Amino acid sequence: MSWESFVMMMPYITVVILMAIGLYTVLFKKNLIKIIMGIAIMQNGANLFLVSLAYRRGYIAPIFTSAESTDMVMPTPHALTLTSIVIGLATTALMLSLTMMIKKHYDSINTEDMRRCKE
Amino acid sequence: MTWDTLVTNSPTFILGIPLLFAFLTALSGRFSKKIGDTLFFIALIATAFFVSLMSYEVLTGESWFYVFGAEQPSPENIRSFFRITFAADGFAVLATITIMITAVAAGIYSYGFMKFETGLNKFYTLFLLTLAGVNGMVLTGDLFNLFVWFEVTSVASCALVAFKNYRGESVEAALKYMILSTVGGLVILFSIGLLYGQHGVLNYALLREGITGSFIDKLALGLVMVILAMKASSVPMHMWAPDAYGEAPGSVTPFIAITSLGSLFVLFRLLFSVFSLTVVSGSILIILGTLSMIIGVSMALVQSDLKRLIAYLSVSQVGYMMMAVGVGLATLNTGDYDSFGELAMQGGLFHMINDGVYKALLFLSAVAVVHVTDIRSLNDLGGLAHKMPYVTFFFLLGALSIAGIPPLSGFSSKLLIYKSVYLYSPILAIVALVVSIITLAIIGKAFFNAFLGPDQGLVKRRVSKTMLLGMGILTVALVLFTLFPNIVVTEVVTPAIDALTETFEGVIP
Repeated sequence: MSWESFVMMMPYITVVILMAIGLYTVLFKKNLIKIIMGIAIMQNGANLFLVSLAYRRGYIAPIFTSAESTDMVMPTPHALTLTSIVIGLATTALMLSLTMMIKKHYDSINTEDMRRCKE
Repeated sequence: MTWDTLVTNSPTFILGIPLLFAFLTALSGRFSKKIGDTLFFIALIATAFFVSLMSYEVLTGESWFYVFGAEQPSPENIRSFFRITFAADGFAVLATITIMITAVAAGIYSYGFMKFETGLNKFYTLFLLTLAGVNGMVLTGDLFNLFVWFEVTSVASCALVAFKNYRGESVEAALKYMILSTVGGLVILFSIGLLYGQHGVLNYALLREGITGSFIDKLALGLVMVILAMKASSVPMHMWAPDAYGEAPGSVTPFIAITSLGSLFVLFRLLFSVFSLTVVSGSILIILGTLSMIIGVSMALVQSDLKRLIAYLSVSQVGYMMMAVGVGLATLNTGDYDSFGELAMQGGLFHMINDGVYKALLFLSAVAVVHVTDIRSLNDLGGLAHKMPYVTFFFLLGALSIAGIPPLSGFSSKLLIYKSVYLYSPILAIVALVVSIITLAIIGKAFFNAFLGPDQGLVKRRVSKTMLLGMGILTVALVLFTLFPNIVVTEVVTPAIDALTETFEGVIP
């Protein structure tokens, strides 16, 4: 693999690393805050994936007024990313506020103490 | 505005009205409780009106694709990518009808049930947001909208589960559901990225043309399928369902269950209209469905909590639909489809609309029992039929229907499933029959324990009239499905099957 193609691959490698870290945290950590941090890392991984899909070398931003070149990137992935960032904010906020309530009721944020639903 | 404009724009109204009224009810808390109640019911009735408008037009006229976005975006060749399409076809009609029946019944039931809670306007907001989210999921014609509505549904329904936040159990169930849904949503986003990177489009119809069955396609299909099956509470990923169904405020339990039926509708739409790998995905559906039936019913066997028992039974009912539609999918485009595949599809989809109704009826009557007695364990209940004749009747109807006892509607759809699945593989039909018999035993045990026997004086408060009205609406629907199963199958279910199996044309030229 040449240096050039390695550089081009870098975003995707980062995506894989971020997703793996996030998934590991969600699956194996017991602390709720850490789990939510893992989800946030996965969110960033997915967003980075979408943004790097949109990148084309030598293309310009898709702004029609006073454009010199007609080689524009498709704006769809950027729109997707913006939407998913906003959604990520909502989900993270909701999960954190639920965690606050869990702390109030259970006096713990360890998932091993969350066993009341079973019976 | 003419009548035709209303009809053509009905998909927007189905989503727009709940969204608008969600914010209005949130604001109304500053003024008075009455305004919130009124706005909520106006929104429910208006949404139901537009759903029936759309259904009438699709079922008697023809289906159409509703398009958001400018007619003429500048570069001529890529305009269809920018436009958002909503599919108002037979399948969307079947799904929205199923959702609306439960939503109206649960909404009316909530009025009596939630009377003693505070902050009801926020409850209405969450309810309407969930309604908009589920309807959006089944109506949309492109993948990214699917993700957005999926997340709207997740956030709103999780918050709805945690509405009684003074109970630790509710918050715990909501957090578990939320973590699963959020990770699921991210995985869906990731596979949307994969498909977009491969094909450069998000529209279902354009995507279908591009999909060839390469490794990336299969990976994306697998990821999307796992997540939607998880949301539909199919077996290996069903753990959240009993917690969420059991701990949600009673009146919205069937509504949370409907969000998972909505995910199942979306899964079927994607498998038929986007991914053309029919045999593989059909077989996976059959395996997941059979597992759901067996494991769901055997978990229900050991439950003593009434709501959790029904939750596990609903997991096993999801198995029936997945198995039947899986048989239809696996035989699609072969000679077997005409001999029994279509019959299996009819059974599966008819079972979905049936299941939406009788499951809601069971949940609501079980919740009425818990509401009246404050007891959830079947071991401590007994003799309720003396004081609660109506609820007993409703529960019995739902129980007989879920067990598939003739002549109730659950029997009609299950008979279609047995007949067709037997021709595909006799073992599957035998499993379905045995699961049905065990279901009868379980729900019969629950009925005897809770309602029959000498009066033990457990009744502490009355069941309010609106709660009875909510259950009555479901009963009317159940009786109609029981009396006219042939009309439902030919008029509602068959157009849905046609919409699924014919090529999805959601591109505006």
